Parts: sequence; C-alpha cells; structure tokens
Amino acid sequence: MSTGKRRPQDALPGTSAEHRLAELAILYEVGRALQRTVSQRKALHIILVGVTAGPGLGFNRAFILLVDEKENALKGRLAIGPESPEAASVIWTRLQQQDLGELLEALDESKIGLDRRVNEIVSQFRIALDSDHPLVRIMRSHEVSRAERHVFVPHGYPVDSRTCELLGGTEFAVAPLFRAQRDLGLLIADNAITRKPIDTASMRMLQIFAQEASAAIENTQLYQQLREQIALQEKTNEALRSNQERLLRAERLSTMGKMAALLAHEIRTPLVSIGGFARRLLRSCPPDDPRHEEMEIIVSEVARLERLVMEVLGYSKMAKPAAAACDVNALVDSVINNMQEEIQRNRVTVRLELAPDLPPAVLDEAQVRQALMNLVNNALDAMPSGGTLTVTSRADGEFLEIGVQDTGTGILQEYWDKLFTPFFTTKSSGTGLGLVIVSQVVDNHQGSLRFDSRPGQGTCFYLRFPFNPASESCQP
Amino acid sequence: MTRILVVEDDPSLRRLYKNELEAEGYIITVAENGRQALAQVSRETPDLVIMDIRMPEMDGLNAMVEILQRHHKVPVILNTAYSCYMDDFLAWAADGYVIKSSDLEPLKSKIREVLASRSADQAPSG
Repeated sequence: MSTGKRRPQDALPGTSAEHRLAELAILYEVGRALQRTVSQRKALHIILVGVTAGPGLGFNRAFILLVDEKENALKGRLAIGPESPEAASVIWTRLQQQDLGELLEALDESKIGLDRRVNEIVSQFRIALDSDHPLVRIMRSHEVSRAERHVFVPHGYPVDSRTCELLGGTEFAVAPLFRAQRDLGLLIADNAITRKPIDTASMRMLQIFAQEASAAIENTQLYQQLREQIALQEKTNEALRSNQERLLRAERLSTMGKMAALLAHEIRTPLVSIGGFARRLLRSCPPDDPRHEEMEIIVSEVARLERLVMEVLGYSKMAKPAAAACDVNALVDSVINNMQEEIQRNRVTVRLELAPDLPPAVLDEAQVRQALMNLVNNALDAMPSGGTLTVTSRADGEFLEIGVQDTGTGILQEYWDKLFTPFFTTKSSGTGLGLVIVSQVVDNHQGSLRFDSRPGQGTCFYLRFPFNPASESCQP
Repeated sequence: MTRILVVEDDPSLRRLYKNELEAEGYIITVAENGRQALAQVSRETPDLVIMDIRMPEMDGLNAMVEILQRHHKVPVILNTAYSCYMDDFLAWAADGYVIKSSDLEPLKSKIREVLASRSADQAPSG
C-alpha cells in the first residue's frame, strides 16, 4: 500500500491559498451544475463528485444518506469512491486533466452509482429516525461532526461500531443536510484510501458543501413532488373529462327517452280512438263491401303504430328489473312460440340447441323476454327470403349464455359501433330501439352482450347473464 | 244488468268505450274526471268503474283511493296509456290494470274476469 500513502494532488505544487481558490472553483462548478439538474440522482452524484474532486477538500470517498419519510428512516442512497489506491490514482489523474465543469456537463445518468464497493456500503445504511442513533442525533443537530477515535467531535457521542464496520474505518466526517427546520439527510466523507487526517479546513468546506447540497436536494425533491402532482392533476382532469362525456351522453339519452315517452303517450290516445272506431266500422261492414278491405288497412296500420309506441315506451321505462328464478329454456320456447306467425311468414326454420340441465337463472323474465324478442325480430328481418334461426343456451361457469343466430345478410362493419345508438336503424320500418333495449336489459342484469357478424353469412348475438347476480344488480 | 262507470277525459275515447261496452250488453255512464266520478259513484252505485289515470281536476289513482275508502266493494279497473303506474303501489289496489289499445278485447276480457270473480266471491253470502 505504499502508493496509497500519497495523494496525487500532493505532488502538485501549491499553497493553501491556491487550494482555497481551487475549492471555490469546485464549489462554483458544482453549484452551476446543480442548478441545471432536476434529477435527484444526478444532483446527488454532482455533490459527491464535488466532495471528492478537489485538491483541498478532496475527500477520498463520500456517501449520501437521505431521510425517507415513508419508511421513517435515514437510508443510504449514493456513494462515490475508488475501490483501491490504484483505481484512485487513475481517477484522480483523470480529474486533474479534465475540467470539472466539462466533466459534470457531460455527466450521463447511466454512469452514476458505478462505484460498486462504496455503493454496496451505502445501501446497507438504514437507521430508524425514531432511534437515538448518533448519526440521527447529528443530523438533527445541524452541526458537522468528525468521528475520531470512536467519538464524534464536537458532539461527544460515541461512534457506533456498525458504522465503523461498514465504512471500514474509525475516522470520517459527517455533515447534516437540512433546509430550515427540515432534516434531509447526511453527507459522510472519509479518506479511507490515503488515510489523510481530516482537518478543520476540510470540515468547514464540507459544511459549505452540505449547504449547497441541501438546497439542491430540496429543489429536486420539490421538482419531483411537483411532477407527481402535475401527473395526478392530469389524471384527475382526464377522469373528469371522460366522466363529463359519459354524463352528457347519459343526459342526452335520458332527454331522448323522456321526449320519446312524452310523444308516444300523446300519440297513444288518438291511436286508440282511430283504431277503436275503425274496428267498430269494420265489424259493421259486410266482408263483401269494397270498403271492408280499406278499413282493415286502417286497423292493421294503427296496430303497427301502437306496437312502435309500445317499443318506445318499453325503452324509456325499463329501469327496474324484478328478478326471480327463471327457467331460461322454457322462456326461449315461449318466445319462439309467440313469434311463430312472423317466423312462418319469413319461411324461417328454427333450430333450438338448449342445454338440457340448465340451472334456473335469477333475472327479470319480462325484460329478458323483450330482449330475446327483439333479437329474434332482427334475425327474421335479416332473413327476408328464409333461412335458419338458431337459438342456443348454455352454462359457462357462473354465467348463462343465450345465442341468437341467423343465416341472414349480416351487419356491415361500418354500422358496428352505431348498433346500440338509440334511433339508429338500417331497416325501412324500425324504431332503432331494438338493440338499445337489448343492451339496456343486459346492463340491468350486470350481463354482457357481444355479436359476431359476417356479411352474407349471418349474425349471432350472445347474451351473457350471471346466474345469480349480486343483489345491487337488481336496483334501478 | 251490469252498470259500468267509465271515467275518461278524452271525449272520443268516452264515446268509443260507451259504444263498445254497450254493445257488450252493459249499462254505461261516463265521467270526465276523478271528481265527477266520485260524485257519480255515490249517486249511481255502479257495479264496476273503469278509470283512466291521467286526467285534469283529480287523477284516476286519487279518485280510486277515495272511491275505495267510501265504497270499498266497487271494483276498479285502471285503463291507461301509461305502464309506469304499474309500479305505483296505489295501482295495486285496483282489480285490474289495462294498457289502452285500439284493440278493446284486453279491456273487455278484464271486465268479464273481474265481474266473474266478484260474483263468485258474493255467491256464498247471497
């Protein structure tokens, strides 16, 4: 270890005044570099370089411990220092050849924390803040201290053996990092390589350095907090925006629903009159009377309008499912039976593939019946010149799945995202509410709806309901 | 002869119901709103009341409640364009709830059903 006894700087000619000047230059460069960085890790590195760079201050190794408020502990964060006297001489020679300002300017984050040995040491520092550990007490005192023969001077606390063991020596300097009344951490420096004693001038420089470092650490912490708050704010804004959009949409839908309901009710009473009297006239008109057929047209057209009104009112009122255990296969059968007339008119073959041991599902039978009717209606409309309607039921774990499949025209992809928009329809006669009602029913049951459609081949809609929905699912 | 009071604010519908139900063989009187209906029930003691819900002066639900408080034997069928009142527990007090349609068959069959169940109830006592 003969080379270890000599510091490279010692070889330089110089007076203490020159040293002081060099120290000020370092302080200046470090201060400038710190002002330009917002990364805490980079700031810590710059501080450590400053502490170990100078011919005068020029500690061999430096360690930074910071207060971690979440863990309520003083934790080692970053260190700098050569592994051996040989490595030290390489580094120090390079430092003399390169301007410190340039070095700090060119600092790359990936080059930080590469001194393996010292960083292993520093990562082992973890001291509870509520302990009376001497390092915590020194930090709180805001006074620099020097460990010397197992005592901290001037504090007079005994040096704990664990710290000596970690640092591998009994002589080192400790400078508290603090801003106003806020304790930030500790800067520890030693001359483990050269074994040069730590003098009073070095201690004073370390103190000045610690002040500079404290300001920089606080700045980067504030910057970090600011960024986190901005990110949070942005997230909140984003959530707010999307909520607002949802709200607007819901409001629009509800307004449309209300208007539709109002209109439907207004139309219903005159329709009852028109249709009711037309039926009376029809009954009194002999079948061979030429007016008989025309009256029949009035009656059937009014009936069609009444069905449309029913559909609109069904949409605007359907909010509160009345859930009860229901045999879904029987429900499917009954829907198909009720629609026999339309099915036969379209010359459609019905295939039922119903799971034989399907458990009962808790749902609002009237609503699901309406949803199935709408899907079957759509399927029939998609097969104007005949085809096959396949209705399936099956249990998939906790879920019931009902499929309604046609071999019809299919749905063009450009309509896919409009399918569930109220009053959107591709049919010549339709309210554009059928699928809206289906999706409303599905929502009411905490279920889900998906479809699969190929133009020219057909469409299949799948309804999925939980067999036993959570109790709140049956709330409006 | 069964006497039925039809309460309906729309004049065309009043006429439709009167004509159609008279053709079924009932004696029909009409009222234009709940308040009139109340007076007529006391005066005419009908066998059945067919009550619209949305009406000026006094709506059908309130009229029904008052009628049932005074003459709790008279059956009431609610006949309305609105299905939403089905959720109103006042509507549960009615003997029937029919949604208006140009096809009067549902109303007529509900009338027959209510009258039949009333006469069945009264059969043992008289």
